[in-house]
Amino acid sequence: MTRVTTPAATIAERIAATIDPVFAVIEDWRREVAALLAADDEPRAGRIDPVIADLVGGELERPGTLITGAGFVAAPGFLADAPWHLAWWLSGASPFRTDVLGTGLRRLDAVSDPDAEAFRDYTTLEWWRVPERTRRRHLTGPYVDYLCTDDYTVTITSPIVLDGEMAGLVGADVYVAKLEQALLPELRAADRTCTVVNASGRIVASTDLHRATGALLRAEGLADALAPLREREADGDPRAGEAQATTLPGGAEVVACGDTSLALVLE
Amino acid sequence: MPHATARADAARAVIFSPLEGAGRAELVEQRLTDAIVSGVLRDGERLPSEAELAKLLGVALVTAREALLALRHKGLVRTRRGRDGGSFVTSDRDTSARLLDQRLLAASRIALRDLSLHVAAIAGMAAEVAADRASDDDVQSLVDIDARADLATPGGARRAVGRFGLEVAAVSQSPRLVHEELRLQAETGALLWMCLREQEYRDRSREARLEVIDAIRRADGTSARRATVAHVTSAVEWLIDEKARIEAASVIDDAAPTRPHPSEGSRT
Repeated sequence: MTRVTTPAATIAERIAATIDPVFAVIEDWRREVAALLAADDEPRAGRIDPVIADLVGGELERPGTLITGAGFVAAPGFLADAPWHLAWWLSGASPFRTDVLGTGLRRLDAVSDPDAEAFRDYTTLEWWRVPERTRRRHLTGPYVDYLCTDDYTVTITSPIVLDGEMAGLVGADVYVAKLEQALLPELRAADRTCTVVNASGRIVASTDLHRATGALLRAEGLADALAPLREREADGDPRAGEAQATTLPGGAEVVACGDTSLALVLE
Repeated sequence: MPHATARADAARAVIFSPLEGAGRAELVEQRLTDAIVSGVLRDGERLPSEAELAKLLGVALVTAREALLALRHKGLVRTRRGRDGGSFVTSDRDTSARLLDQRLLAASRIALRDLSLHVAAIAGMAAEVAADRASDDDVQSLVDIDARADLATPGGARRAVGRFGLEVAAVSQSPRLVHEELRLQAETGALLWMCLREQEYRDRSREARLEVIDAIRRADGTSARRATVAHVTSAVEWLIDEKARIEAASVIDDAAPTRPHPSEGSRT
């Protein structure tokens, strides 16, 4: 009996399709929050926060969602009543927070006083820095998010630009464990070893179960093959990483997964 | 959200995270004491109210109250009444140093060496794995943390050690190692890094950091672990020497009143 082999490009498309609903939700939020901010002469945190909570709350509590945390982060000085502002919510479940398990949403407790020692300038962080520069959606991670979700996470952020000015961004956190669970069935469609990596070559999921999520995939030529993906993320040029397959010296194929900034490696 | 986010610097975030285990009032008291004497919570800073503290730490209201009362007795917290009232941190360098000395005196050498092993196990493993898993960006973030380190003060040097250790754990991509690193920093950091009172040890902490960065850059896990473990071990060896110094000094102090002061005898 021979197994029908699904071509690499098809699997790459399916991986993109698994993540696309998350992108679509964030895009909806981005449009709605942009409209809300644009319609307000003097946007204030007090008025915006309840709207954001409503907006992201439904998705966070929807059964089967990949999203664990979500919200809006304002550009410094954009809101009249809160120079630094995060309106970010998390769903109850977290491996290290058993006390809040199943208690619904909790709001991220942010330090917004720039004089406080605990204050951290979020504009220096990757999930802000990159979309601010490129004015495009960005996927940060996988990384250990020890202050927000408390777990191994991917964060997707999308900038809100009003009259050419960065007003803030909307975004979502996704547990890598959930993402892996969603991706593995798609990867198993091939009869070769399939591994999804981010633009740095960090493993998100692999059909080789002994290949650890979070480790770097080491293969000759992989860094070069991923370079267009990294450049696309860095420059925000959507054409820079157009999905063409590259074959590594060792025979592995590398295909970009749509515009997710992830890549599929088939060995 | 990534590494260090706007919520709080991690050393602080863990102060107000739920506790587990027995002797909860003592644990709350110890955690807040450590945060104050190590300068993570600053002089004049307002603490959460009893009710907030109880909620944040997941303890009973009476437990939070008991802990705050103990902090007041130690002179680390002052309570003001009225509209702008609340509990405020009142730490000065002398009180902090005295409390840390007391904690060091109360710890046995066995406990100190055990602490050394525990911290080295977590931090060493994190460094070893980080060397395997660090991307170029990760190495850069470690370099940045080192570049921002303020070696002129004990507090600055300790914050740098804490942030660096946390980032190394984050680079290892292990939520559990990160979690354990945070917990150990909150519960033992103030004691463990007392050696950073001395400029020589602050300079050494930087050398250790550069060594670890270099090993991680070369993907040399063994060297990254070795440099990390050596750094922790040297901090504990300093503690053991310091403990002996304080013990010797207190024996002399205790003995002093029983002996007539030389100058007093000659005045009769």
